[in-house]
Amino acid sequence: MAQDQCPSTKGHKTPNAEARELATVAGRVSGTGASGPMKAWRSPEEFADAPEFRDWVEREFPAGASELEHNTRRDFVKLMGASLALAGAATIPGCRRPDHKIMSYSSEVPEEVIPGTPLFFATSFPLPGGGAEGLVVETHTGRPTKVEGNPLHPISQGASSAWAQASVLGLYDPDRLKFPVFNNPARGRLDATWDDFRAWQGEHFAKFDATRGSGLAFVVDRVSSPTRDAMKARVMERWPDAMWVSWDPVADETGLEGARAAFGQPQAELLSLDKAKVLLTLDRDVVQHEPGALVNARGMSAARRVMHSGDAMSRVYSVESTVTLTGGMADHRLALASSRIPAFAVALAQKLGESVPAIAAMARDLAAPTGEDIDAEFVEAVAEDLLAHRGEGLIVAGRTQPGAVRALVHGLNEALGNTGTTVSYRPLTGDAAESPAAWMRTLTRSMAAGAIDTLVVVGANPVYDTPNEIGFEAAMAQVNTTVTLSVAMNETEALSTWSLNGQHPLESWGDTEANDGTIAPIQPMIAPIYDPAMSEVEFLALLAGEENPDGYELVRAEWSRRLNGLSGDSFETAWRRALHNGVLPGTTDPGDQPSVNAAAVTRAVASLRVPAAPSEGDLEVVFTTGQLRDGRYANLSWLQELPHDATRVVWDNPVLMSPKTARDLGVWAYDDPNDVYTGRQIPKARMAVVSVNGTPMELPAWVCPGMPDGTLALELGYGRTKAGAIADGVGFDVTRVRPGGGVFVARGATCERGRGRYQIVSTQNHWSLEGRETIIREADKPAWDKYGDELKVKPDPIYGEPVISLNFAERLGELSHTPENRSIYDNPYNNSPDAPDAENLTKDHLGRPIPPQFSRGPQWGMTIDMSTCTGCGVCTIACQAENNIPVVGKREVAKGREMHWIRVDRYFLGDDLDHPEGLAYQPIACVHCENAPCEVVCPVNATVHDDEGLNAMVYNRCIGTRYCSNNCPYKVRRFNFFDYSQAKFKAGSPLTEAVGVEIPNENFIPPRLRKKLDEIQKMKMNPDVTVRGRGVMEKCTYCVQRINRARYELKLQDISPADMPDGFFQAACQQACPSQSIAFGNILDETSKVAEARKNGRSFGLLNYINTRPRTNHLLRVRNPNPKLRKPYDEPFHHGKHDDHGDGHGSDHGHDHGDGHSSDHGSDHGEAHSAATKRRTLKLPVLGEVATVPTAQDLLMKQATGGLA
Amino acid sequence: MLFGKWMNALPTLGAVGGGMTTMVVVAGGWYYLTPDFFEVGYMPTQPGAGFNHQLHAGELGVDCRYCHYHIEESPEANIPHVGVCYGCHAETRLQNYQYHDVAWVREAYAEDASIPWRRVHKLPDYVRNFPHHVHIKAGVSCYSCHGQIMGQVVVAQEHSLGMGWCLDCHRNPTEHLLGEEDHDKLYDLTWVEEHFKERDRSGVGQIDAEAVLDALHKAPPQNGTACHH
Repeated sequence: MAQDQCPSTKGHKTPNAEARELATVAGRVSGTGASGPMKAWRSPEEFADAPEFRDWVEREFPAGASELEHNTRRDFVKLMGASLALAGAATIPGCRRPDHKIMSYSSEVPEEVIPGTPLFFATSFPLPGGGAEGLVVETHTGRPTKVEGNPLHPISQGASSAWAQASVLGLYDPDRLKFPVFNNPARGRLDATWDDFRAWQGEHFAKFDATRGSGLAFVVDRVSSPTRDAMKARVMERWPDAMWVSWDPVADETGLEGARAAFGQPQAELLSLDKAKVLLTLDRDVVQHEPGALVNARGMSAARRVMHSGDAMSRVYSVESTVTLTGGMADHRLALASSRIPAFAVALAQKLGESVPAIAAMARDLAAPTGEDIDAEFVEAVAEDLLAHRGEGLIVAGRTQPGAVRALVHGLNEALGNTGTTVSYRPLTGDAAESPAAWMRTLTRSMAAGAIDTLVVVGANPVYDTPNEIGFEAAMAQVNTTVTLSVAMNETEALSTWSLNGQHPLESWGDTEANDGTIAPIQPMIAPIYDPAMSEVEFLALLAGEENPDGYELVRAEWSRRLNGLSGDSFETAWRRALHNGVLPGTTDPGDQPSVNAAAVTRAVASLRVPAAPSEGDLEVVFTTGQLRDGRYANLSWLQELPHDATRVVWDNPVLMSPKTARDLGVWAYDDPNDVYTGRQIPKARMAVVSVNGTPMELPAWVCPGMPDGTLALELGYGRTKAGAIADGVGFDVTRVRPGGGVFVARGATCERGRGRYQIVSTQNHWSLEGRETIIREADKPAWDKYGDELKVKPDPIYGEPVISLNFAERLGELSHTPENRSIYDNPYNNSPDAPDAENLTKDHLGRPIPPQFSRGPQWGMTIDMSTCTGCGVCTIACQAENNIPVVGKREVAKGREMHWIRVDRYFLGDDLDHPEGLAYQPIACVHCENAPCEVVCPVNATVHDDEGLNAMVYNRCIGTRYCSNNCPYKVRRFNFFDYSQAKFKAGSPLTEAVGVEIPNENFIPPRLRKKLDEIQKMKMNPDVTVRGRGVMEKCTYCVQRINRARYELKLQDISPADMPDGFFQAACQQACPSQSIAFGNILDETSKVAEARKNGRSFGLLNYINTRPRTNHLLRVRNPNPKLRKPYDEPFHHGKHDDHGDGHGSDHGHDHGDGHSSDHGSDHGEAHSAATKRRTLKLPVLGEVATVPTAQDLLMKQATGGLA
Repeated sequence: MLFGKWMNALPTLGAVGGGMTTMVVVAGGWYYLTPDFFEVGYMPTQPGAGFNHQLHAGELGVDCRYCHYHIEESPEANIPHVGVCYGCHAETRLQNYQYHDVAWVREAYAEDASIPWRRVHKLPDYVRNFPHHVHIKAGVSCYSCHGQIMGQVVVAQEHSLGMGWCLDCHRNPTEHLLGEEDHDKLYDLTWVEEHFKERDRSGVGQIDAEAVLDALHKAPPQNGTACHH
């Protein structure tokens, strides 16, 4: 599906263009050649491409975004009055120089603390539901500011997840619990102290000693930690009959069930995607939000990174009901309802069974699945591919799939010889092997029956996240006493007798056990902010009877037990080394290969009952989790504002469905499907009433292309009521309709139009590079293998001299057609290294000629590999954490004012709105053009170039004209319309306490009157980066603070910065990226990774044809389609009517095309051309027909050739 | 006659007067609205009895690095912790200096409290990290930015620390650099002051600009990214 995206082919009338004219959003565009180029679009609006939409995207910000809200002139005058009155009083002291204190350290200072220089400590991050990531945390004089992955930890290997990145935000969350609260039945909630609680608990819990703990129940957050397990053992030793629920509302229940059926014991899967040449995922997102996600992302990226023609590349098939990142990576994606995927699995097993007898036995007891949605061709192609790659393939299924399918998949992997190479297993024991949903149901029954006297909740939030069907909240009323330990405010704590403040993982001692068994310490980066507080292990030890539990001693005791044989000094050495490195050596489990009980798998499969495909009265509902997971991260504003993987929706969780389903159900925002864009604004979403098992729930509906028809996706984690200022009132709580039992799929749901509309904010249309489609480039593997390493010398179309050589990726874009046009944004300081003009070099103050700009190192550059980028958005969060980037809230995002320096654009590919053929993700930040268009328009020199190729933004010079942003072809500049980083932020209703006027938007409150950030939040700020104020433009700086820090270090060592070793430091996005898709470094250093990537044939500069010379290059995406399913597009360089360009893109690459297109336009190419030129055409509304619009290119050509063409 | 003939002079007068007013305003602003006027000479009162740099660094010859001990390894010149003060001023030491007011230091030490020193040299928030260690490494003495600290009883700001002042030096660094052979005298501010005076007068001991720039690997940066991020 390589795309000829040259705009010069734009406007040529082709059969397909006519088809586009006739096409509506409703209909599939005819003539979609399976091997042809594809349209890339980001939203139904863009797909329909109405003139109004073009108007809309032409603006830098949506219409009205730069204005105050309607009808606020009166408010504005009032505010100005109030502001002036107060400003007078407030500014007088402002004339004096502010009195700054430098607080010295007191009598002692930790030896290693050097003010101004960060310290890094290894720790680990317990992943919710089990598993862990190793971390290295940057601390500045004792305050953690930034989290990185630990390179020594086998899971992280330097990368980290968005959750880990955002953990610092949780540490400094002003809504954390600060002290114990006792809920007196008569007098309500009373502030208390830990001493009160200690006194109370000794007496209270002693009474259970007599009953052996019956009447006592624990609900603890499900994490994997050796010390926690040891504390559980202590608690259970004291009260053997107590009930212990290791709770996770979104645990992988069927994974336990499937492994139990297949192996007789629950097993964790350890995937080696780097070895998988063929991967089939059944409703599972392997690259994010699961315990092995970082390993999987890294492995998949290694298997898909091609640097030269002929490099091996894996093939990914994805069968899924929601649009996930794995589906986005897939070469072939089949949208299929979750409840129908078992049918697919059985069909596949039966197909495989034709060749492998062992598999035939497994699926023999079930009739061959039928149904139009089971694409037989797809099944056959996948089966053949898997058979052709025995031992190098892998099948994985996700938590929406029944245990039988999970077991079947284990069986298939074993029978195909994949077990041991691409997947191995590690037995799960203890809490990890228990089913949380089953235990929760038992517990709730006991509670409702009045059998539980005291409930202890540690770190969990069952009142919010337990499905309503279970009735936990009602049952809790029957419990006499509830004790809750929690770090953050939550719904459970609010209803408890005792609400106790816990320690955040960044301020406590503990340990974690990763998915592969690696044990890592959690060590505190900072003393507990709200001291006294207790960590989970300390709290459990306290309950178990220890007088003064100390987390440090508890962890050491458990570790010395595990390191049996070590004591005294040798233990001390091992312990210190483990703390330093952040891992306990020798605990990583390589995994083993338990044998599958084929008979049990057969039995399980035989019991499968697969429903028919969903229909209007029998819809399927899939419960998904996103960045907020089960709601525990809801109060972390970074994660709320990180766009949703598929829809780019922020701050909300609408019910998602395919465009066709939305139309059929009458819940699409548009009344007339043919008229997707009517007003100045994209219409608000319609409310829909979704009924699951008879329970109705009203929430907005939103269209997500790529979902199967008849499936509704509901995202968990929203609609919190007691989570704090960020999360309260954001989104809709779908646990209300979720069935119990840990299931993620429900059938028999209905959906109808509700009353009214609701504003959903999606960033999918933001920062649109209107009419510049070549920014997203793809090629099929055969095309890459054929031409990937070729360099083409492109003759200048006017003068005929060879001027530039184009690589594979550049030949797919405009550069192959554009005449040399080096002067548009010529930078006067840029003496090009290509042609140093020694005579005219400017001289420095010593009279020595200054060498050509950008010819001396280091020269910074970056590459982003779209072949391996999964689109997870960790780079966005890492950048936000590193660079003090504020969140702006839903209302501001609606106006296109989000501040993310690095955005991830998501494209759907294909000519069918309902069935896009694939997805593409592209991170874009400032590309640091050498000839930067922004610099020439700044009236105050606030954006200038430095001599290492950075496009610098000098905040204190910026006066906020926004000319730069207007002139930026990449739309990567962000403007602080308001005091986003200094004012206190609240997601729900505005903070109006400060002024007496009713304010529609808290941003209108003048800065002096507005509530400022809490002091505690300021501790999160990176001291090396300016906190930007209102009216200032900002953008990616290539982490210049890290560059400077590295430069200092080298200078102190007497090493020239030009000799900086590659990888001496990393940019924040690069360091966090789980798939290692970002390279950053000195492009003049031939040996650096970034230089190597830039030399690669896949490397191209975005919009480089306007001669901006970007320093950030993107590497085009290579897809590896199965020829059985789609004819690979192996001749990507065909163009439309280019004869008049002369030999503009001389394609003497040896195929029958001859030398260029000028002669020999053989009839055999006619079809290829029409397919290649199927492009977006300009629809002129007045004429109402497709018009051929001459491009500037064409006009230039005409002049050059004297109009002869 | 409503308009006298004298009124013909008004435009001229107005133009001249207006021009002069503009010049005065500009000149006034040029001088008074710059850090040269606002910042230089800032001399806040320090807590307790303050710290007498003239006595400690000048008379007693305590090396700058005795207190500012991270200067060679950190961008920030650290303020000593109270233990450093107490190291000399403990009750058991320096008995003959009892008459000096150091009780407040001892109190702070006893209470394990911090001393809230008042900041004299303050760069704006949009200037991140003036890297002291790199400047020291390059051979810029404390004297060049902080003036003759060894002679100040109460430290006052000597230079404007404005961007123009920074750039003056970055454009022409040799005047403010000490040669490699003199790097051991970087903290001997009286020597540095004499040396600079002598160098200016006699021209002897001028450093070879080219050699210095080579030693620095690169001319001092003059672009925005060096300080503003």
